[in-house]
Amino acid sequence: MIDWLLFLEVSLAGIGGGGLYALAGLAFVLIYKATRVVNLAIGEMLMIGAYFFFAAASELGWPVGLAIVAAVVASGFSGGLIERLLIRPMLGESPISVFMITVGLSSILVGLVELVWGADQLRLPEFMPTNPVLIGEAMVAPKIFYGFLVAAVLIASVLILFRYWRGGVALRATASDRAAAYAMGIDVPRVFSLTWVLAAAVAAVAGIVVGSISSLSPTMGIFGLSVLVVVIVGGLDSVLGALVGGLLVGLVEAWTGTYLGGEYKMLATFTLLVLVLMIRPYGLFGTHEIERL
Amino acid sequence: MRIGTAKETYFADEALFDTRTQRVWLLVLAALLAVFPFVASQYWLYLACLVAINVIAATGLNILTGYTGLVSLGQAAFMGVGAYTVAVLERRWGTPFLLNLLAGGAVAMVVGMVFGVPSLRVKGLYLAIATIAASFILHFIFANWTAVTGGTAGLTVPPANVFGLPLDSEFRSYWMIVPIAVLMVLGAANLFRTRIGRAFIAIRDRDISAEVLGIPLLRYKLLSFGIASFYAGVAGGLWAYFFRSVTPESFPLIMSIFFLACIIVGGMGTILGSILGAAFMTLVPEALKLVFGWLPNAEAMAVHLAPVRTMVFGALIVGFLIFEPHGLAEMWRRVRRFFHLWPFRT
Amino acid sequence: MRVVKWLVGTVTAAGLALAAPAQAQEEIVLGGSIPMTGVFAFAGVGIHAGIQDYVKIVNDAGGIKGRKIRYVFEDTAYKPDVSVAAFKKLTGSHKVSLYYGDSTAFSKTINPELERMGTILMAGASFATEINNPQKYPMQFMAGPDYSEQIGILLRYIAKEKPGARVAIVYSDSEFGRDPVEEFREQSKKLGLTVATEIMTPPGSVDVSTEVIKLRRASPDYTIFHGYVLAPIPQFVQQLKAAGSQTKFMGSFWTMDHSTVMKMGEAGDGFMGVMPYRYYYDDSAKAPMLEKIRQMRPEYQSTPYLQGFLTAMLLVEAAKRTLEAGKPLTGKNLKAALNSIKDFDTGGIIGVPITIKGNSIPVGRIYRADMKAQKMVPVSDWIHLD
Repeated sequence: MIDWLLFLEVSLAGIGGGGLYALAGLAFVLIYKATRVVNLAIGEMLMIGAYFFFAAASELGWPVGLAIVAAVVASGFSGGLIERLLIRPMLGESPISVFMITVGLSSILVGLVELVWGADQLRLPEFMPTNPVLIGEAMVAPKIFYGFLVAAVLIASVLILFRYWRGGVALRATASDRAAAYAMGIDVPRVFSLTWVLAAAVAAVAGIVVGSISSLSPTMGIFGLSVLVVVIVGGLDSVLGALVGGLLVGLVEAWTGTYLGGEYKMLATFTLLVLVLMIRPYGLFGTHEIERL
Repeated sequence: MRIGTAKETYFADEALFDTRTQRVWLLVLAALLAVFPFVASQYWLYLACLVAINVIAATGLNILTGYTGLVSLGQAAFMGVGAYTVAVLERRWGTPFLLNLLAGGAVAMVVGMVFGVPSLRVKGLYLAIATIAASFILHFIFANWTAVTGGTAGLTVPPANVFGLPLDSEFRSYWMIVPIAVLMVLGAANLFRTRIGRAFIAIRDRDISAEVLGIPLLRYKLLSFGIASFYAGVAGGLWAYFFRSVTPESFPLIMSIFFLACIIVGGMGTILGSILGAAFMTLVPEALKLVFGWLPNAEAMAVHLAPVRTMVFGALIVGFLIFEPHGLAEMWRRVRRFFHLWPFRT
Repeated sequence: MRVVKWLVGTVTAAGLALAAPAQAQEEIVLGGSIPMTGVFAFAGVGIHAGIQDYVKIVNDAGGIKGRKIRYVFEDTAYKPDVSVAAFKKLTGSHKVSLYYGDSTAFSKTINPELERMGTILMAGASFATEINNPQKYPMQFMAGPDYSEQIGILLRYIAKEKPGARVAIVYSDSEFGRDPVEEFREQSKKLGLTVATEIMTPPGSVDVSTEVIKLRRASPDYTIFHGYVLAPIPQFVQQLKAAGSQTKFMGSFWTMDHSTVMKMGEAGDGFMGVMPYRYYYDDSAKAPMLEKIRQMRPEYQSTPYLQGFLTAMLLVEAAKRTLEAGKPLTGKNLKAALNSIKDFDTGGIIGVPITIKGNSIPVGRIYRADMKAQKMVPVSDWIHLD
């Protein structure tokens, strides 16, 4: 007899966690969509956002709302800085070189955080309601629920932004054909900077949620590896793909964790990755890249 | 100035070391390597052995990534395969260490080729991500196949044995590790004088064109994975004999990133690059420790050594990619060119 | 005549002056691979301070038979290969007799080298069950109970408080975490407790909601956490308490430092665990060493500090006994001296006199967190496991 309530609760937890993955995946997809950069440092950008929030809320003692805004702004600023200093000089180089730059970037960010805030685990101040949320008979952890809400709202707004805002259209134009975008008078370097700033801001929000669920530490960036699976499954350049991929990976992790055991979680995630790479390498919603000689 | 290097036979033209000066310098280097263990302290011997092991692994990765263009973040995991193979063989059957190393390389080769199969479906960055997945899957196997690998506790390895003489000190390990490293590096250099090596380079430059020219992509890509994994396996086996304890945590993803950094800093696509890169990246933490020792407030500043080390690691990767994409090997070549053309300018 | 007397006097004085420093030069070296940075830094910094302080106390009192102790160390950032390198560097440049190692991985890796050298007695930050084996690790020991013994102490307490209780263990997927699980199963059976569930969390996992769901379903009376420092324990505690679960939470050594538990906030009230030492501020009984520590360091010192302090104390005691017996400082002699420690008074750091029969000290007390008073209070007697 299958315990349907357990299944429901686990699935809800999976969807909630998946929402977080989707949010981080969104930041990744934004960068890839506009600049064609596979950003392995996405987990570390999440971490920076969370640490900025910690600095504002715990060290400076600002009220939570102001701290969140400050963290997002500071993170966006560092995203722009990273783009200017590290990505812009590599324009035109092979994608592998740019990939390795992001690998180097992740080490720099980890070292920086450890230097300033130390290597110990830190707790963020509690700012989300702590009563468990009841959906029917199933209980969902409050932070997961509210994290999912935040993720959903953000993803929806980005989707709308891309559709109707001028900047969003410029972003999509740059993504599909850089030369044509230049020709149409779009300031492509500005679009690049804007993308990284936006992505860093989204990553900061994700980081704050992740940080408040577990804890802050310089090793938080390992979250980025699961996000990699999400974007591969969903498609490297599809926002919708990040959402669907995130939910899917969240569910798979939750089900394996409950029914097989905690040690199989990562194995299941990465097996899913290998399967997708073998069967449908461009993901569920990604654009099929045709290699031209 | 370098003059009079005309060659009269193809054989002479293809030689690895073609001028007299090169050969002389090589003899000097060999003599230095032979004398080093007698004058160096235990700590420097330890560092030398570590550099030699890293050189082997970096050379393997360079064959795969630098010469064939297939980015791999799984080199450390394949080292782990080699290390566990050697550990199991040495513990269960005590077979001679050369045989164990070969077996370690062979098993790693097979595993590498298995994980290389996706490389046909996907290219470039997708392949890099697939190798990350390989890294995690292998880690899972190491940690959970307790019957063979001892699970999360790992295995302890008895020292290698040469006619009953245990190779358990740094001095003795040096004589096991460094000659093998030299052999493998020479092997790699020779590989690129053969048809296979040229095929690899063709695949890196434009694989579709290579296929048009008649190079079977599947076979050569898998071969490249296999060779690189063989090198990783041997390096892993030597690692097992040197550290004498193998656990799933011994070969984390960051180690694969370390090897990638070695070849980027050293110079992708050159044998010299692997050597210089591995040596440089292994010795940088030591140099940092020295620098920190000189700082005025040494005691208090020591706490910051580890994060600064991480930052320097990342900064080196970024710096070399932006400013010197061909790495230390290119710097070396520039110096050599200066001396070759002197008194003319480059 | 007077000139001769004067000459003799000066020569003897000169001779004594030269001889005295020559005697005091023979220092006893205590080497350390200390994780002052990296993931274990909070412990490493404390351990370092603890060892330093104890060495200072001994040297201020004149050392061991006139010989001072010299503490040399290297930072390892909790990486085993850096740790090994530090060991080789220190043993290469000093004549090391006592050593402090920073991790289980290091202790295991360096063991064959220790046996080959035969000159060092080693202890460290590892409480791994595997190392508590005098045959396999003859020159190593630990200044407290190993992880299996710690879980054993917790289970004994549970069996006394609530016979036949349901117990659950939540542990991390690492060597550290998996260490005492076998013992957990065996001891639970022996003490008549029911194992409600065993939950393993992947390392570095962010969200443990699914594990919380499983734990809730199992409704244990006591939940033991092992293999973590802090995260994800607060998640479990918060979510279970919010869901109305009545389970009591317990932790093992590295979770039980005062500052770590206090970080759990309100939810951490009532969190219990095993601690073999008295806390820095514990004044429930006479503790001359704690008094001295409080004098030397007016601010709170963590339990890792006490671990380092006590380890240094035991290492020095082993050296003292070896020298007093007139034996040379070899690994074997030092270990034999260590094992001769019977009913030894640690000056109040461990609340009862200790005996070191094998490689560990299987003694501990259960403490509980009182959030209102912001203190860890003892809730049991000292429990011996042998």
